[in-house]
Amino acid sequence: WRVEHGSLGFRGLTMFCSILILLCGSSLSLQGFVELTIFPTVANLNRIKLNSKQCRIYRVRINDLEAAFIYNDPTLEVCHSESKQRNLNYFSNAYAAAVSAVDPDAGNGELCIKVPSELWRHVDELKVLKIHINFSLDQPKGGLHFVVPSVEGSMAERGAHVFSCGYQNSTRFWFPCVDSYSELCTWKLEFTVDAAMVAVSNGDLVETVYTHDMRKKTFHYMLTIPTAASNISLAIGPFEILVDPYMHEVTHFCLPQLLPLLKHTTSYLHEVFEFYEEILTCRYPYSCFKTVFIDEAYVEVAAYASMSIFSTNLLHSAMIIDETPLTRRCLAQSLAQQFFGCFISRMSWSDEWVLKGISGYIYGLWMKKTFGVNEYRHWIKEELDKIVAYELKTGGVLLHPIFGGGKEKDNPASHLHFSIKHPHTLSWEYYTMFQCKAHLVMRLIENRISMEFMLQVFNKLLSLASTASSQKFQSHMWSQMLVSTYGFLKSISNVSGKDIQPLIKQWVDQSGVVKFYGSFAFNRKRNVLELEIKQDYTSPGTQKYVGPLKVTVQELDGSFNHTLQIEENSLKHDIPCHSKSRRNKKKKIPLMNGEEVDMDLSAMDADSPLLWIRIDPDMSVLRKVEFEQADFMWQYQLRYERDVVAQQESILALEKFPTPASRLALTDTLEHEHCFYRVRMAACFCLAKIANSMVSTWTGPPAMKSLFTRMFCCKTCPNIVKTNNFMSFQSYFLQKTMPVAMALLRDVHNLCPKEVLTFILDLIKYNDNRKNKFSDNYYRAEMIDALANSVTPAVSVNNEVRTLDNLNPDVRLILEEITRFLNMEKLLPSYRHTITVSCLKAIRVLQKNGHVPSDPALFKSYAEYGHFVDIRIAALEAVVDYTKVDRSYEELQWLLNMIQTDPVPYVRHKILNMLTKNPPFTKNLESPLCNEALVDQLWKLMNSGTSHDWRLRCGAVDLYFTLFGLSRPSCLPLPELGLVLNLKEKKAVLNPTIIPETAAGNQEFSSSQEEEEIDMDTVHDSQAFISHHLNMLERPSTPGKVKVPQSHRRRHEHKKKKKKHRHKHRHRHRHDARERERDREPFAFSSPASGRSARSPSLSD
Amino acid sequence: MADTAASASGSGTRSGSKHSTNPADNYHLARRRTLQVVVSSLLTEAGFESAEKASVETLTEMLQSCFNVDTLPAYAKRSQRMVITAPPVTNQPVTPKALTAGQNRPHPPHIPSHFPEFPDPHTYIKTPTYREPVSDYQVLREKAASQRRDVERALTRFMAKTGETQSLFKDDVSTFPLIAARPFTIPYLTALLPSELEMQQMEETDSLEQDEQMDTENLALHVSTDDSGAEKENASVLQQNPALPGSRNGEESVIDNPYLRPVKKPKIRRK
Repeated sequence: WRVEHGSLGFRGLTMFCSILILLCGSSLSLQGFVELTIFPTVANLNRIKLNSKQCRIYRVRINDLEAAFIYNDPTLEVCHSESKQRNLNYFSNAYAAAVSAVDPDAGNGELCIKVPSELWRHVDELKVLKIHINFSLDQPKGGLHFVVPSVEGSMAERGAHVFSCGYQNSTRFWFPCVDSYSELCTWKLEFTVDAAMVAVSNGDLVETVYTHDMRKKTFHYMLTIPTAASNISLAIGPFEILVDPYMHEVTHFCLPQLLPLLKHTTSYLHEVFEFYEEILTCRYPYSCFKTVFIDEAYVEVAAYASMSIFSTNLLHSAMIIDETPLTRRCLAQSLAQQFFGCFISRMSWSDEWVLKGISGYIYGLWMKKTFGVNEYRHWIKEELDKIVAYELKTGGVLLHPIFGGGKEKDNPASHLHFSIKHPHTLSWEYYTMFQCKAHLVMRLIENRISMEFMLQVFNKLLSLASTASSQKFQSHMWSQMLVSTYGFLKSISNVSGKDIQPLIKQWVDQSGVVKFYGSFAFNRKRNVLELEIKQDYTSPGTQKYVGPLKVTVQELDGSFNHTLQIEENSLKHDIPCHSKSRRNKKKKIPLMNGEEVDMDLSAMDADSPLLWIRIDPDMSVLRKVEFEQADFMWQYQLRYERDVVAQQESILALEKFPTPASRLALTDTLEHEHCFYRVRMAACFCLAKIANSMVSTWTGPPAMKSLFTRMFCCKTCPNIVKTNNFMSFQSYFLQKTMPVAMALLRDVHNLCPKEVLTFILDLIKYNDNRKNKFSDNYYRAEMIDALANSVTPAVSVNNEVRTLDNLNPDVRLILEEITRFLNMEKLLPSYRHTITVSCLKAIRVLQKNGHVPSDPALFKSYAEYGHFVDIRIAALEAVVDYTKVDRSYEELQWLLNMIQTDPVPYVRHKILNMLTKNPPFTKNLESPLCNEALVDQLWKLMNSGTSHDWRLRCGAVDLYFTLFGLSRPSCLPLPELGLVLNLKEKKAVLNPTIIPETAAGNQEFSSSQEEEEIDMDTVHDSQAFISHHLNMLERPSTPGKVKVPQSHRRRHEHKKKKKKHRHKHRHRHRHDARERERDREPFAFSSPASGRSARSPSLSD
Repeated sequence: MADTAASASGSGTRSGSKHSTNPADNYHLARRRTLQVVVSSLLTEAGFESAEKASVETLTEMLQSCFNVDTLPAYAKRSQRMVITAPPVTNQPVTPKALTAGQNRPHPPHIPSHFPEFPDPHTYIKTPTYREPVSDYQVLREKAASQRRDVERALTRFMAKTGETQSLFKDDVSTFPLIAARPFTIPYLTALLPSELEMQQMEETDSLEQDEQMDTENLALHVSTDDSGAEKENASVLQQNPALPGSRNGEESVIDNPYLRPVKKPKIRRK
């Protein structure tokens, strides 16, 4: 199939990779070699393309013969020398083209190795090639992350460590390989590290051997299960080792001093193993499993073949409540991906949804088993709301993109500002939502074919893969380990015998969600419920739904399901009702689950037997439902419907009905101990909103106060809270949340009632955790959040300057608490510094409301590298907010600088993300911040400054889009010249964007040259490497050894490819004179960022 | 003579305590010596100048076997008792009279007057208080809360005064002083590891709970996992230092994990 994909026609069988990692002093570098064994599958193979980024390649030999190679990475600088080109549309197209120019699935790569002419005959006979590449990597900016604390001592004593990281295929950042999920091979990995370090990698650790000087040791790993290079990972550090007491083949690693936490955190993992193995009726595919917990993680969970890399911040002790379920979820998620994602890989990018879907789906099953049906349904609802909101906002998420012909017109994602053809061009948020949608769609498939069949399909996929994995390469069985959309669907129809094609067409091959509007009327004469269901399918991100829709009607006689057929033009549906005025009989009312309850029916409409109506109660459509029913119906639904999703929906709806009856229903829910705790928490916030709407008629103490007193305060002295006892988690969460919601209460002057503030201050004052088994750090943090919630805007007289003297006395009390909490954190830090985080947020709230002078200095000091990451993010969020509110150019520059220089990739990503979410200005707004320099800066950032991190670059693109939109930023001066051809829309428009090449070429020449030279030094080290190597190619570095072939046969060049490339590059770039000169030399290369492929026509002429 | 005997016996007990390790023996020896001294002094009181060792032994034996404690006070106050002469008074210590409370008690008659006086009454007399200790729950909580708050405030203010601070108000740095944010070299350690205070607390609550429940099965489980953990730590040390002999017990040989295996020495290179 490789050939079908137009690839270069080879397959690696064994990849032997030996890397010597040196961790000494300040030089963070590694060197090593990679040995690939290649079985040519086509004759005429004279060039081999591999992926490699950042690596300095010294030497390539094929079957012990020196081979020439060239290196060209168009993604380093996407739009080359288009110095005045500031159009995002143009950039996105160029970036997508650059990424596919090195896409291994299309047979491309950054590194092009020429097969020496002596071996051509050898190749034609399809004999084995052994490629040996020596390379080094010096202070990599992406792919491998080094964490080196700056303290005294040896690297091991300092806790220095390194690990591989990245988003999708990122292995090319640390060694040359075919960086694809579909190119499987077996692996032998060797890592030589300092004797005090441990190297953890994929597969089985065969042995550990000292080097001759006994100062280092070499870890030999063997991975016999065919694995894609993108699933290869590495972590090296002075790890503490814990063998799982339940499963001895599982080993856990953590940084020094954290062993007790590691023991507690991983003590649960074996249960997850058992669960997955049981439902999949398949053993865990690898012979061992390793978990490594590292600092400065790129993502919280990263799954690789037989090992997962986690953030060290997931570790916790037995005293921590809130983190425990979150960490367990991460563990379960990573394990699900071990089966689907690592062991079973994907055929191509468009099949990614199957893997993400299955792993997300079985993770959901685990959730259901572990946390219960309520939690599971709540989670599904949450995910559904998320995807619906995202699709309606951005215009749709497409799970299975098919790219026919590659014509721009057919681009399925034209509503987006990035291309979805390739994972590396995707916005991170989009990718997150993509995963969310994938598992929801798997759930829809399950609804259709039953869970039993679903699990059978998974089992089939797994057992085929494990049979294939034990076969020799020559048997051509390995493709069974790759899943494709087609194969998956076929397997479903084989197993279940059901046709799910309509479902797939609706949710997988098509983007968008469904938006229902429902209302009803009861026809007394006919005893019929007239339901009207409208759809909005014209707004972006929506689609039309045609098919069955379940409606549940709760009547006095019981609960009845009706399946309506949603068709083109039918809006109204008549549903016959069962009961006629049965109310007098005083009978219990049967619910959906068979339970019979007494209800007070006095609130009902006397003529109607309807208690409540639900549309699509099982969430079997990806939809948003806006349904209209009377307030008493929502109240009945909240009180008596047993489904937590229904309860939450009714809470949301009741916000619009601020009546004493709603108040009572919510209070009862809040008090009801059998009610799901998340519903009770949601009821708190709704109650606060209702109380505010009813403020003039509200009687009694502030909402929830007496309730809280009854539940959590001492009987004898109601103003004092009981000493903490968090043994019951439900009441713990309620105790945490109620004050936060209460703080949102406002009196007639729109101020937080004094009584509430005193109440919260008393809670803080009397908080006593001495007898508690659990830490109260989250509880205290939420009390600070409550204080922040109570803050209302300051009454400002003539814009006076904020000083201590005119400080509001209530705010003074709040500030007193915050000061004390923040200072105590320095002496007795809380877990994950939750209290500092809350304090920083509260201070920003005080600033924003004009009580405290607005000043980013404090936040900037907390945002520095060296603080715990949660603190940094909270501080940075405040700076981002300050930048927006105060329109500060200085702070924006400070943030942008941090995006470029901060050592932690996650923080850089997060700043961009926060700036995008809370932008200082948007494309439609005039802002003093929006100027040409900023445009240039951001352009440079996404064009070349972020080439070492896919996620970061896409983040920069997102920000650019938010600030300036798709076309040329409005703050730029209008270009001088007239008409230009807009290729995308196929029409000529008055030039908004491009300065025509002819005019611009000469004018800009001198300036662009200067810019480039700066780029070489500051932006890409790797560029410097490459030009260095190009020089090396021209003059042999070791005289006599490296032979540069004088003549090259190029007749093997595939004609098809040539054509393709010509087409692709025809209109993309212009090269300045200097480059053209270089082009004439056979091996000289234009600046590698020019976007020219090594196979461009000029070379093969 | 009695004095010498007594002193001899005193030294005897001391030397005895040196030789014999058994406290019971020691006691008997001492008791016997004391009785011997008593017998000797009674003999002196009765007018004997000297006595044979055998007869003293016999009398001691008799005294030991028929000694009645109840008659002792009466006997001690007998009129014809011999008073052991007081040791020569060396310089009388001058007691500072600065602190006196109550009346010094005189010696009871059976205590010789040269014995030191009773200490000042305030050192042993119970002073009655007239205020009930606070046991009201509300007041206790109130007190504990405000005490903690005061301590925290004082401590943080002190820390703020002695170190660098940040302020929310430009014009005022002392009302709400914030201890300056200081980056850590390894930030995750302070963030993740429970503080010593919390650890202590946890142990306390744990022990409380165990007292309540006495869940022995659970306990045993805890112990066993802890043990195996400790062994693993050892193992990782072992791995780093293969010079140590691989002393492993049975349980560990069951766990065959490649990361616990010793590091191999390099093969000698063939030249």
